[in-house]
Amino acid sequence: MALKTDDLRVYYQTLKGDVKALDGASFTLEDGEIMGLAGESGCGKSTLAKSLILLKPPMKYVEGRVRLDGEELPIWDDEKMNSFRYKNVSIIPQYAMNAMNPTRKIGKMVKELLKSRGISPGEKRDELEHRLDLVDLTRDVLSMYPIELSGGMKQRMVMVISSLLDPSLLMADEITSALDVSTQKAVSEMLVEFRDKDFIKSLIFITHDISILYQIADSITVMYAGKLVERAPTEEITGRPLHPYTKLLISSLPKIGAKYTEEKLEGIPGKPPELLEPPEGCRFKNRCPKKEEECDEEPPFREVSPGHKVACWKVKKDVS
Amino acid sequence: MEPPQSKEKNEFFYFALRNNKLVIGLIVVFFFLVFAIIGPFLTEHDLNERAGPRNQPPSAEYWFGTTTFGQDVFTQFVYGLRAAFIVGLVGGGLATIVGMMVGFFAGYHGGMVDELLNMLTNTVITIPKLAVLLVIAAYLTVRGVIHESIVIGLWSWPWAARAVRSQTFSLKSRNFIDMARMTGMSSMKIIWTEIAPNMMSYLFMTFVLQFGGAVLAAATLDFIGLGPTEGISLGLMMQHSFNWSAIQLGIWWWFVPPGAALALLVGAMYLMNVGLDEVFNPKLRER
Repeated sequence: MALKTDDLRVYYQTLKGDVKALDGASFTLEDGEIMGLAGESGCGKSTLAKSLILLKPPMKYVEGRVRLDGEELPIWDDEKMNSFRYKNVSIIPQYAMNAMNPTRKIGKMVKELLKSRGISPGEKRDELEHRLDLVDLTRDVLSMYPIELSGGMKQRMVMVISSLLDPSLLMADEITSALDVSTQKAVSEMLVEFRDKDFIKSLIFITHDISILYQIADSITVMYAGKLVERAPTEEITGRPLHPYTKLLISSLPKIGAKYTEEKLEGIPGKPPELLEPPEGCRFKNRCPKKEEECDEEPPFREVSPGHKVACWKVKKDVS
Repeated sequence: MEPPQSKEKNEFFYFALRNNKLVIGLIVVFFFLVFAIIGPFLTEHDLNERAGPRNQPPSAEYWFGTTTFGQDVFTQFVYGLRAAFIVGLVGGGLATIVGMMVGFFAGYHGGMVDELLNMLTNTVITIPKLAVLLVIAAYLTVRGVIHESIVIGLWSWPWAARAVRSQTFSLKSRNFIDMARMTGMSSMKIIWTEIAPNMMSYLFMTFVLQFGGAVLAAATLDFIGLGPTEGISLGLMMQHSFNWSAIQLGIWWWFVPPGAALALLVGAMYLMNVGLDEVFNPKLRER
């Protein structure tokens, strides 16, 4: 397996106390897997991605282990992590619009990145050009300033830079949010192609837009209020969601061909809990239609059928 | 991979040369600079020597006339102009550099470093600059132009530091800073190669403003008698002329040249600043 995290906890330090943005994430990611990470804003998706590559204050490592390709990833140690970054783990940041320094030409930036990794830029020249071709960028972009590129072009350029050193794990953090729908599709498909061509071994694709995940993800993990609530292969989770939150999340998507003139599209009533002092037990209980007494105790994240994990007390009863 | 010619530079000069404010400011400053550099070679008199008859109006022999003591005003003027440029460069430069350093470190590191540096900045801001300059100048028994410049520079940086700090804060949160951090770049290198270039225009403008401010501050000090004890400056010339009642006696050639030069030089600096702002900021450009 490519990535294995074990009870990873990362909090944000604030004056009022710790915000428990990522509170015990355990999952494994297979080689070649594209994992979609979904959930609403503030549920800890980005925190999970950032903590795996650049854990900087006010983020605070609390506990948990991460193994990548059988090797321990020292995410709590900024210095030691340095040798893993870009080479083993890499990220496409949330806002590609400012992922490149506006005062530096793109080619120069790439050169400096390669030098910092101890690779001579000449060595990677052909590969770089090959990948630019793959994402439909001309080679001139290397002698341009970022401002001369459109939003979609910048996004693709950052994709090339982030994956240039063939990282084992690539994380794409909400990279499609700022793009229009057709560009979204093109960008996501390029990432799949990167995986198919073995540039990257596995990919964590973070989004709040589940419909993109239908198209590209092998598996989907749903997060809620800092915890993983369900993880299953894409067909399984979309066809047979088990956790009440996942069910509501999927049912609140518009159906293709359906017209919502008569009835209103349902949402999920209520809002996520405060993560400064999250409620005891299941964090979804206050919005959950199936809430019962046992939900005051924390549900374990366990496997209910092969490859399908859920954190809900009610599920086992439903299944068995 | 090198491009033919940097488009950005061409664009900068395109707009710079078409901005009247900047061009006029530059011409005035350049004029005085040339004057200050070659002026001293055009006179055979010494600063304080008795060069001729007293109170002579400007003439072919004494271009700017002479003082009550028979000193040549032109000689004093060109040396005074040199002093003004030295004060501007050293004082303004020092203020800009200290302000930049404090601002960058406070803004980039945040937390405790920011807390301390901010406290220092605010302390220096609240102490009235002129009062401090008065006290310090009064205690230094031997004062040269350089001493004066350093004192001025060390007390003029806080506003620059504040502005640089807030800019650094906003730049720091951009993704490219994280991308640079991931390459293992040191904080110093990130500040110089990633953050500073994004505010080059601002830093340059700060220097221009600080230059003008330092020249003015020096003139103020000189005029109230706390200027250099040796040498000459434009402010000192004005002080001497005032002390010896040049206005009442109608010796206008004694105080008009230094006063006009100060007003023009500082005015040109401010004009340049406005012009530069228009050149760097596309929103202010005239179409």
